[in-house]
Amino acid sequence: MKRLGLLYLAAQNLRRKPFRSFVTIAIVALAAGTLFSATLLIGSVDRSLEVGMERLGADLLVVPEGYQESGQAALITGAPTSFYMDGSILDQVKTVPGVDQASPQLFIESMVSSQCCTGHVQLVGYDPSSDFVVSPWLRDNLQRTLSKDEVVIGSLILANKGEQVHFYGHDFDVAGVLDATGMGVDESVFMSLDTAYLMARESAQVAESPLDVKPGQISSVLVKMADGTNVDQLTQRIKTNVPGTTVITANELSRSVTDRISGFKRGFIAVDAIVWIMSLLTIAAIFSMIVNERQREIGLLRAMGSSRQFVFRLMLTEAVFLTAAGGIAGIFVGGAALFIFKAIITSSLGIPYLWPPVLTFVKLMAITMILAIVSGAVASLYPALSSSRLEPYAAIRRGE
Amino acid sequence: MQLSGGASDALMTTDAMIVLKDISKTYKVGPSTVRAVEKVDLEIPRGQMVSIVGHSGSGKTTLLSLIGGLTKPSDGRVIIDDINIWTLSDKEMSQLRNEKIGFSFQFASLFPTLNAIDNVRLPATFGSKNESDHDRAIELLNLVGLEDRIYSYPGQLSGGEQRRVALARTLMNKPRLILADEPTGDLDEDTEADILEIFRTINGEGVTIVIVTHSRAVASQAQRMLRMHRGLLSEEEE
Repeated sequence: MKRLGLLYLAAQNLRRKPFRSFVTIAIVALAAGTLFSATLLIGSVDRSLEVGMERLGADLLVVPEGYQESGQAALITGAPTSFYMDGSILDQVKTVPGVDQASPQLFIESMVSSQCCTGHVQLVGYDPSSDFVVSPWLRDNLQRTLSKDEVVIGSLILANKGEQVHFYGHDFDVAGVLDATGMGVDESVFMSLDTAYLMARESAQVAESPLDVKPGQISSVLVKMADGTNVDQLTQRIKTNVPGTTVITANELSRSVTDRISGFKRGFIAVDAIVWIMSLLTIAAIFSMIVNERQREIGLLRAMGSSRQFVFRLMLTEAVFLTAAGGIAGIFVGGAALFIFKAIITSSLGIPYLWPPVLTFVKLMAITMILAIVSGAVASLYPALSSSRLEPYAAIRRGE
Repeated sequence: MQLSGGASDALMTTDAMIVLKDISKTYKVGPSTVRAVEKVDLEIPRGQMVSIVGHSGSGKTTLLSLIGGLTKPSDGRVIIDDINIWTLSDKEMSQLRNEKIGFSFQFASLFPTLNAIDNVRLPATFGSKNESDHDRAIELLNLVGLEDRIYSYPGQLSGGEQRRVALARTLMNKPRLILADEPTGDLDEDTEADILEIFRTINGEGVTIVIVTHSRAVASQAQRMLRMHRGLLSEEEE
């Protein structure tokens, strides 16, 4: 036989007006869902930046003048791009005081045509002798360098280790798949510079459309600064000493992403604050209504021997049930919406994205739930208090 | 049994289940003050069945609520089973209502989301007794003739059946005092007779009963009849 405790009575009371309970849950779910999904999105962008910057491993990126934006886009979202400068730029950069290491990369945009390429992705040629982006990963995971027909691919490229991919009439074996970063690396295919030049040269004969890349051309120079070097000063020195180039700093990359989501953040804070306030007011109004409607029952409960504290706790429990259900629904719906629309959101905002670790996920869920429950308790506090203070006789008479 | 101030404190603490000492209850209604109960002294011995009659608005229900501690008197003392109830804390007062007093209201007063047996068990939820409330509830539903409706919800019961369930709930915690406000109002004669029979039975077991009623027939079942008129209480002559 079930026990007629506080929780059971509260649950039974909520069943009485299912539509009203549903509306309350929906409002809280909207607030909780907005909070959960937006916080998750912002947290994921931050994490992606952190992991992506670590993978990039460079403090500066030197690109041809006028290609700052497309360079940033390629690094952040993996938007394929092609731009070239003379290979001598590398030597010029190396001579600038404060440059510790410099390594060239070649960006080749693959074609959309399936005959040409395995997807529309960014092909990146790197120099194994100076690279500090892909080579350390190869050392740790393959314990060797790539051969001329091999590539390593980002986590979002649709191929597995051991399979083949096809670019500009050239077949490549996938030697490895890089860990996810949420940034452009995930949608890039890495090969050695020599392989990239070979692919370009052979494309005239074997590809649907030939590649216009001349031997020795590069797209960017990744720079590691010497210890104690000031990033702004080095940027300025490179701009002065290496004409025709521009510099993208790691900080600029982060700032670029941060700027892109700052409007979103402001909008989210405003919308969520309004939704939370609305849900608090709605809960308060609904529970005032409930107390009003149930005055006779409250009087009866008191006549049967329930204490003021019991009535107070009953009202509070009902509110907490509703807001907890709203919190769970919000987390579920918000999380699902983010999962489903992640690609659209990230591409429209031009931001990187990397799902957070499970622990962060759980923490965020817990915070959302606590916030939803506390909101319910706060909003229903006054109605619950006034219900507990009703004089039993007056409550019974008023409810008649 | 005295009506007006004759009982001594010693008597009150030995024989009386209910003692009202100079009780008044006034309400503010807008700018005016309504005197619902005025300077009432009353003593009811344990085990007595008393009826209170009077016109609507005469203060009967207010008096019953004062006895049951459902409303605080503007003046005077209410002593139930030797306890001056308005000296108690809310918790103690709730416990007293739960363990010693059973209220029967003029409406069915069932909780719509609870079935009959759960409605009956409800008072046990607030008590500290460990005995099986389920068995007691079944026993009481048998007593009121609803053994085949124990899992029915109030919406599935007739008005008379709902009143019987409410009566079973009144008896759930074996109260020593029952305060009944129009317990048979709007009921057919058979149901009224059944309910009065139950009152007589439990009164025979020593339970004190105070019934507020309009019905002369119901009032006549009591051993003693009182009349309320404009807040004043008087003994009704047979």
